[in-house]
Amino acid sequence: MSTHVVIVGNGIAGMEAALGIRAREPSWPITIVSEESDHFFSRTALMWVHSGQLDHRGIEPYERDLYARKNFTRVRARAVGVDTERELLQLTGNQDALSYDRLIIACGSAPRRGPWPGSDLRGVGHFITLQDLEWFEKEVYGAAVRERPPRADAHLASTTEDSPYLHRETATAKRNRPLERAVVIGGGLVGIEAVEVLRAAGKQVTFVIREDWYWPMAIDGRESAWIAERMREHGVDVRLGENVEAMLGDDDGNVRAVKTDAGEIPTDAVVVAVGVIPNTGWLTGSDIEIDERGGVVVDDSLTTSAANVFAAGDCASVRWHDGTQRPEQLWYTGREQGRVAAAVALGDDARYARGTWFNSAKLMDIEYTTVGQVESDSDRRADWFFEERGEVRSTTRIATKDGRVVGFNLLGRRWDHEVLIGFIEGGLTLAQALDRLHEASFDTEFVPPLVIPNKARNARSAPDGESA
Amino acid sequence: MDLQGQNGLMSTYREGWRNRNPAGIAAAVSIVAFYVVLYFEDKVTRYTGFAPLTGLAEAVGLRNRWYLYGFLYCLVMMAGAVYYLGRHGNSRYNRYRVGANVGVQVTLGFLLPFVMPLFGGTEFYASYFWPLKYDYFFPQTLQDLPVYMAVYTVAGSLVAAPILAYFYGKRWYCSWVCGCGGLANTFGDPWRHLTSTTARSWRFERASIYTVLAFAVTMTVLVAVDFFIGDAHPSFHAFVSGERWDDWSVKTFYGFFVGSILAGVVGTGLYPLFGPRLWCRNFCPMAALLGLIQKAGRFRIRVKKDMCISCGNCTTYCEMGIDVRSYAQTNESFTRASCVGCGMCAHVCPRGVLRLENDKTTKTTLPVVTS
Ligand SMILES: Cc1cc2nc3c(=O)[nH]c(=O)nc-3n(C[C@H](O)[C@H](O)[C@H](O)COP(=O)(O)OP(=O)(O)OC[C@H]3O[C@@H](n4cnc5c(N)ncnc54)[C@H](O)[C@@H]3O)c2cc1C
Ligand code: SF4
Ligand code: SF4
Repeated sequence: MSTHVVIVGNGIAGMEAALGIRAREPSWPITIVSEESDHFFSRTALMWVHSGQLDHRGIEPYERDLYARKNFTRVRARAVGVDTERELLQLTGNQDALSYDRLIIACGSAPRRGPWPGSDLRGVGHFITLQDLEWFEKEVYGAAVRERPPRADAHLASTTEDSPYLHRETATAKRNRPLERAVVIGGGLVGIEAVEVLRAAGKQVTFVIREDWYWPMAIDGRESAWIAERMREHGVDVRLGENVEAMLGDDDGNVRAVKTDAGEIPTDAVVVAVGVIPNTGWLTGSDIEIDERGGVVVDDSLTTSAANVFAAGDCASVRWHDGTQRPEQLWYTGREQGRVAAAVALGDDARYARGTWFNSAKLMDIEYTTVGQVESDSDRRADWFFEERGEVRSTTRIATKDGRVVGFNLLGRRWDHEVLIGFIEGGLTLAQALDRLHEASFDTEFVPPLVIPNKARNARSAPDGESA
Repeated sequence: MDLQGQNGLMSTYREGWRNRNPAGIAAAVSIVAFYVVLYFEDKVTRYTGFAPLTGLAEAVGLRNRWYLYGFLYCLVMMAGAVYYLGRHGNSRYNRYRVGANVGVQVTLGFLLPFVMPLFGGTEFYASYFWPLKYDYFFPQTLQDLPVYMAVYTVAGSLVAAPILAYFYGKRWYCSWVCGCGGLANTFGDPWRHLTSTTARSWRFERASIYTVLAFAVTMTVLVAVDFFIGDAHPSFHAFVSGERWDDWSVKTFYGFFVGSILAGVVGTGLYPLFGPRLWCRNFCPMAALLGLIQKAGRFRIRVKKDMCISCGNCTTYCEMGIDVRSYAQTNESFTRASCVGCGMCAHVCPRGVLRLENDKTTKTTLPVVTS
């Protein structure tokens, strides 16, 4: 008996699920529905396509014959609803609904739109989807010069107004002169990446962040000031703690300035990077449960409220290590959830369980690794902090609770988070962790090791720099 | 970034000459034409009555066209090194490696062989070893070389090179010493992203490079046999070692096809179309041999667990066309025979996922709980 698996989304979660099922069931028909693109690509890598460091083929993790090799059926269309009773996935236009035995929803995120008046002006956009990328490239360079992805517009024949995969006109074309300056709003990773590609293109950038520091969860005041200083070295006008009030347009409907509580910032374009929301608008009306954040509610086996329907990746609201239920918008968790969804769809008793939190990123040229609990709001926690100056500039923050290390927040060097997780799970004290920190070093060859002078070892401080 | 990581964003795919536009094609055609004249100047002379490179060499006092070539080689490599270090020179690994490579080429690859004959010495290339410099293992050559040079080249090829490759990987040679690798890494750097990364190109690589290795070894054995029995068997001698290059012998065929066409005309001439390591990856017998030792040895690229975001920077910028991402995204530390340890994958990785290591055994040491 063969089971028809339908997967909505060929992002990391959807593709990982498809590959996981195919590895065990060579003959099950697998249909992948994707509106955005024919091929799976790394959304995390959009910035490099923008600058020209990579091309579209380069950000696709598999060769383009993958669908043929794995015998996946591709449907390039927008899904608009699920009939859980009759087990049908409905598509736009007059395309036939797909009947499924297992449905895996991996429809990812959509950009969160700015709440400000003027957010619809030409020249205001996001940096989340392939279509956003093309808008942003054209806005900055006047053209998307390299080969576009195959059948880049195949989905446009029948889609809906609320799709995040639509193309957008540029203000640059309308204004008929090259872009000179831009404003980026929002201090998360996507905002920083937008800033970086604008600087790489030699444009003036103002970076407006509502909070006093980026990622208020992970980065504390000292680190934030340190990052801001490094960004200013790169010519970025960083505005911390400034609130956007409106986007102002010219007579042609192009954005001309951003109004904040500190004044007006003239601009040719605005990238709104204030986060993402689950891309689940198309599921309203089905009886699959969606939470107030828009996430598809799943249990530990990634099963939704409807039978034979699973969800994975950015769109799924999963249970976190702290017990809360919310989406986890990360690449590696998307991959892991895709694997678990595949196993569950195959009938295994698999569970999605989250271990110690970790992640890494690059903030312009600053390497960043974070492990464990480093949030500035954790209570009863003391932080040890050290800033290294010299040939390598780095900061090391180690959080402790009841005398044991619970988190590492590390800027400027490369670290092996697995070793650091071992330190946390092994219950090391701060002194022990400092003695063994070198074991976690992952710097490339010939980078001098981090040396912590004795005086700094003994200094202690409470969270956020107040001395204890 | 400071001492590691990619120094800003590169605009590789926004530069046409680096992506096979007419300027890139013109560059390839010019380099190919240069190599054709270099290797086959006598033919050119026969048809045109004129020897452009020899004439130029003599005019600038470099004695013959090979020294002219050596001189230009150093110049181009230095210019390429400036370009390379401008983009990747924040990394010490890159600085030391390219510095050593250019230094070796200028001294051992050009100055020494140029100067030694002036003092009545033998022209000798101390930075090339068998089987790349296959003629250094011909018994006749060994007999003609001064004893210390003969010992150097045999010990270098059979003892030092394999041992170093076992402990440090083939990078000690292919990325720090070898002139071919050095040119690829400097002058060839603008085109490194053009190396094919497909599974098909990997199949081709394995079929072709081990064929060349087998050919080089067979030829070395045949020439040695010929040395001892050639006088008694003139037709065997002609088959193996005939020197007239229009009556093919094993030696002239290898010299023409592998030495001139694959290493020079194709291997270097096509940099701007197929990336700079075409020769090293697909044809070099030395790379094949050291690669096998590397597989068995201690060198590896270590992958940090679950941190890879599958961006493809490593795969795109690997000059050997290794799909590094395919290992990184599956948490698999790896040693590939073709990896020349240029370090670029680790350098460009925006999540610090990769590290070159000389020790396959290092593991996470789990701390002992002390309470
Ligand atoms: C610029 C940027 C940088 C990032 N960098 C990092 C990083 O460094 N590290 C990290 O961990 N995470 C990063 N992320 C987040 C990461 O990319 C996401 O968590 C991940 O891509 C989510 O994968 P997914 O498979 O859940 O969904 P997505 O990749 O969003 O894929 C959604 C898929 O669903 C399809 N789809 C959606 N709706 C429909 C519909 N109605 N009908 C048909 N098909 C539909 C789309 O075609 C698409 O294929 C970044 C994100 C962005 C935008
Ligand atoms: S795998 Fe890395 S070190 Fe090896 S050749 Fe490729 S880029 Fe260089
Ligand atoms: S290893 Fe690094 S460069 Fe390679 S795909 Fe993964 S994140 Fe990108």
